[in-house]
Amino acid sequence: MTAGDLGKTAEISHEQPLTALTKPGGDTLVADPEELGPNAVLDGPFTTRQLLRLDEALRMADRQTGLTFSVYIGELVAPSRETAEKLHKQIDGSARAVLIAVSPNQRKLEIVTGHEARKRISDRDAKLAGLSMAAAFAGGDLAGGILSGIDQLASHAGRH
Amino acid sequence: MIIPAAIILVVALLVLAGSDRTRRTRRYRPGRPYDFQPMWFLASPEQVTGASAGADGHQKAIEAPILEDATGHRVLPGPVGGASDSW
Repeated sequence: MTAGDLGKTAEISHEQPLTALTKPGGDTLVADPEELGPNAVLDGPFTTRQLLRLDEALRMADRQTGLTFSVYIGELVAPSRETAEKLHKQIDGSARAVLIAVSPNQRKLEIVTGHEARKRISDRDAKLAGLSMAAAFAGGDLAGGILSGIDQLASHAGRH
Repeated sequence: MIIPAAIILVVALLVLAGSDRTRRTRRYRPGRPYDFQPMWFLASPEQVTGASAGADGHQKAIEAPILEDATGHRVLPGPVGGASDSW
């Protein structure tokens, strides 16, 4: 299933299928590790430890900044920027949301900030974080790049 | 004589078992196919304050530098910002 299919499905059901969480308001991995399901964990590119670190990083970033951080990893239908923006719109309160969309196959990275989040994270800050992330991805460190990106973006956003 | 042969056999089997190229590796390596299902991670919403506010999309964003997509094409300024990159 591509991101395009994902978007179509989401428009119909008003939910976000194929996410690590059943819905944006669902429990996190830390709160409910069963939520992800054992097969989803094993079939993904991350180890359980990496998933938990990612979950922790997202929760910390949300708590510190008051913004909603989100990470999408998968195919981005061309044009990738528009696809990423469509995914961003699906997040509840997208104005305050920050989406990091990574397509490992296409080797593309898109960072989308809502118009409220953009006041805290300028496009230049996002570009700097993107450069750092891309460098990590080029070295094969998918989890490290994402964690680094979340940390940098949250640092730029500052505390709320 | 039999014991060294057995050790060599065991080591050889271990080496062969470890070099199974058909086994799927989970680690991402640039240039190799990434065939995992799409994943989307979000933190829980109780940390989101005022998440439903400000979704009208009409408010002007702050002035930002030129935004380019991964292919280098200019993206016109819109209600959302961010950055693109590739590796």
